[in-house]
Amino acid sequence: MNRSDAEQEINRIRDAIDRVDEVIVRLLNQRAKYAIEIGEIKGVLGLPIYAPEREKDVLHHVEKTCEGPLDGASMRRLFERIIDESRSVERKAANRD
Amino acid sequence: MVIVMEKHTAENNVERVMAELIARGFDVHRSTGVEQTVLGVVGDVAKIDTREFELFDGVQEVVRISEPYKLVGRTFHKEKTVVKARGVEIGGPEVIIMAGPCTIESETQMFETARRVSRAGARVLRGGAYKPRTSPYAFQGMGVEGLKLLRAAADESRMATVSEVMDISQIEGMLPYVDILQVGARNMQNFNLLTSLGQIRKPILLKRGMSATIQEWLLAAEYIMTGGNYDVILCERGIRTFETYTRNTLDISAIPVIEKLSHLPIIADPSHAVGRRDKVMPLARAIVAAGADGVLIEVHNDPEKAVCDGPQSLYPDQFARLMDELRIIVPAVGRRL
Repeated sequence: MNRSDAEQEINRIRDAIDRVDEVIVRLLNQRAKYAIEIGEIKGVLGLPIYAPEREKDVLHHVEKTCEGPLDGASMRRLFERIIDESRSVERKAANRD
Repeated sequence: MVIVMEKHTAENNVERVMAELIARGFDVHRSTGVEQTVLGVVGDVAKIDTREFELFDGVQEVVRISEPYKLVGRTFHKEKTVVKARGVEIGGPEVIIMAGPCTIESETQMFETARRVSRAGARVLRGGAYKPRTSPYAFQGMGVEGLKLLRAAADESRMATVSEVMDISQIEGMLPYVDILQVGARNMQNFNLLTSLGQIRKPILLKRGMSATIQEWLLAAEYIMTGGNYDVILCERGIRTFETYTRNTLDISAIPVIEKLSHLPIIADPSHAVGRRDKVMPLARAIVAAGADGVLIEVHNDPEKAVCDGPQSLYPDQFARLMDELRIIVPAVGRRL
């Protein structure tokens, strides 16, 4: 592979990453919508926003589903942040009414 | 704020801390490491008492990243504040010299001192009408009659005035005569007084308490500012140390520290810090060289006859000489006089 081919290849892969990011963003928002719905329900029922058992299940689930190349621990760390943000939108939704 | 959990602490300890934070309306960023978990706390953490969380099982350390004060800090207010008092701008390019006697004693004393210090370049006339004396038998001040003399002497020499307020009941009566109200070191944490001064719209000169940390001092300024009075000038005046040769130790380092932490003007008082005339001039030079926005200095037309703090008051001639020296220093720190 010569230099200009290599540069073209990097650009092609970067484009592919951008497309994947768009899908991830869409899916994260889809996930956040569910979190908001749950927040609203928790608000009505007066349930606590923080559900440690459920968070553990979610992390366990993604770790189990993960087939690589990212290992289970990396996936857990990524999902910790996703859960942090979900909790935040849930709390806002629960307090809204 | 960051909460660092102990190594290998039980999961339920982490959960208890998180549950408490979330119940109080904070967002938590959890980061689970191989050995140790760290919780980032997001929200209005200024109202958290860190000790509450230090007491939870499994908590190793609670670290505040943001300052506990908001209005006085540089974080949300980058631009330096310029406080205006009767046309005098404190915190601008000019170093403002405030001079005058410790205590207002007589018409001759005030007019003569005002003329001498204003001719030498002072812009603000100081003088106390209510004196916080260590002994109840010492002269307690002339009150409103003294303030009238202060005002008249300052008007004649076209100066602004600064005078100490000791009690909430004095505020109203001082407003017609005083352009800057001074809170003395002994009252720095008189929170009722500070709150009342937050309600008026006149500049406040807040002296540092003699055993106050910089953070406590800034929080005292925050009390005034939360009331809506944003014109606060901070004044370093020496702190208690183990040294007994001088009355207090002037904390020169407070000047650049405040400059970095706060947008408020910072000045210093060498007279009360050192308590002896012969040491006042070198300290005044150091204050200006350190980048202060002003100097508050005691000058008496006849120090031998002063009823209060005579030994730390400069003679008018000494003050004029000091001003000449300061004029040499100011360009080196990018200021003027």
